[in-house]
Amino acid sequence: MDTCFNVTDLNLYYGEKQALKNINIDLYKNKVTAFIGPSGCGKSTFLRCLNRMNDLIEGCKIEGNILKDGINIYETKTDVVELRTKVGMVFQKPNPFPMSIYENIVYGPKCHGLKNKAELNKIVEKSLKQAALWDEVHDRLHESALGLSGGQQQRLCIARAIAMQPEVILMDEPTSALDPIATSKIEELIETLKNDYTIIIVTHSMQQASRVSDYTAFFLLGDIIEYDKTSVIFQNPKDKRTEDYITGRFG
Amino acid sequence: MIDASKEKKNKLIDGICKTFFLAMAILSSSFIVILVLFIFMKGISPFLPGYEFGQVNIIDFLFGTTYRQDQGIYGVGFIVINTLISAFASLLLSFPISVLCALFIVKIAPKKLSVLMKSVVELLASVPSIVYGVFASGLIVIFVKWLASIFGITTAGGSSLLAVIILLAIMIFPTITSMSITAIQAVDKDLENASLALGATRTQTNFKVVLTSAKSGIFAGAILGIGRAFGEATAVSMVAGNKLFGPTFDLFDITRTLTSTMLAGLKETSGLDYDIRFSVGIVLLFVIFFSNWLLNSLKNRIGKNS
Repeated sequence: MDTCFNVTDLNLYYGEKQALKNINIDLYKNKVTAFIGPSGCGKSTFLRCLNRMNDLIEGCKIEGNILKDGINIYETKTDVVELRTKVGMVFQKPNPFPMSIYENIVYGPKCHGLKNKAELNKIVEKSLKQAALWDEVHDRLHESALGLSGGQQQRLCIARAIAMQPEVILMDEPTSALDPIATSKIEELIETLKNDYTIIIVTHSMQQASRVSDYTAFFLLGDIIEYDKTSVIFQNPKDKRTEDYITGRFG
Repeated sequence: MIDASKEKKNKLIDGICKTFFLAMAILSSSFIVILVLFIFMKGISPFLPGYEFGQVNIIDFLFGTTYRQDQGIYGVGFIVINTLISAFASLLLSFPISVLCALFIVKIAPKKLSVLMKSVVELLASVPSIVYGVFASGLIVIFVKWLASIFGITTAGGSSLLAVIILLAIMIFPTITSMSITAIQAVDKDLENASLALGATRTQTNFKVVLTSAKSGIFAGAILGIGRAFGEATAVSMVAGNKLFGPTFDLFDITRTLTSTMLAGLKETSGLDYDIRFSVGIVLLFVIFFSNWLLNSLKNRIGKNS
């Protein structure tokens, strides 16, 4: 199976505090991988390593290698801007820009110099269709994105990420601020998106991980305790701590 | 068990406090009513028939292009135009500088420099206008004189429209900057991260997301700033030159604003020349109300997405 990221001996420190301890993991292409674990276990921190969003945090120090297609993304010559166009991200809270729906989608492509109107229109339609939002908003593309419901806003954020044609989409607890109906829509969407994209999702909900993911990694105190096919993790975990967590004994 | 007498006492205290607060609210709001009423009554009197120093024609007053106390000609039409020119020109000059400075302080400067610059801006805001005035009459006029001499123009010792504009631009800079700082700081960090995660550069993020998200607060700063530019009297009077007719479109020519008209020689005069300053005050109030309304509707239009 093709891998998307190969992570070896990754350590991450916030100042003095070590947040990730010796992470070794291979993440697979065109699969959905879920990171689960209790709060503060480092799963979001690790996710943000994959598109170098941790660079923005003061006092954050990283050791080790993250290879994407064989190239270490933490090499000094890596172009972070280019990396982030290949590795898109969806955040915990829907965060559309205070602009129209249309402007939100074309923001990324425009930042990269695309000006052709017809092409931009095509991107908007395609991204919104892929994000299953087109039918709901096609007649009000030029209205403010802030007028959408929370679930629609989050799908818009997914569409905005898709518009860049990334290889990977990172999702940091994308449904934790949404109601159950909006959540199930996003989960359905993840199901269809995995044909075209590699998806890595951090989630607090074990049901969500078991529903949407192919692989699951269980994080605890900055360590990956267990990483396997989702079915194995949830039905036949090898580590006692994994079993305790998924059966709800702590977390 | 609830003590009935204590409950009664508490109720009484609440009632007294409520009345006291109400009295304070009425007192402070009545100041503005008294002020406006007084200015209006005094300011309208020269246009009423039977005015003791000779009735003034209101049309001549509002649209006149000459203002000469010595000949008893009072026309403020050109002064209104002068005031609008100097205020809006100073805003035009100060606005981009202030906004970019605020952006630098909040987003780009290292922490120590940012703290230092923020206190400098706050300090500038608290400098009294008379100090700006002496600065302008000591330095800005010299600069203007020198600049004019390059073009072979002789100025009235540097007192000019340009000097007023530069002075006002400096004076409103801290107002707009500190409002912009607050507005930029209030922009959700998530929006910035979203932009960076899409592969936008820092500069693209700052201009396309941070500034556009903060635009309504920045615009509020511009409105406060131009309010100060309209209302500034002391410092402006020191470099305006108080031209007798107009309007002034030449940057190196002397000018006259509504405030400098009201202030110049106020203490040495009486009769019509004294009363007419209240009329000029009414005009100034209307100019400010109108500009605020204009800028506010502009603000609502450009800010409707945020």
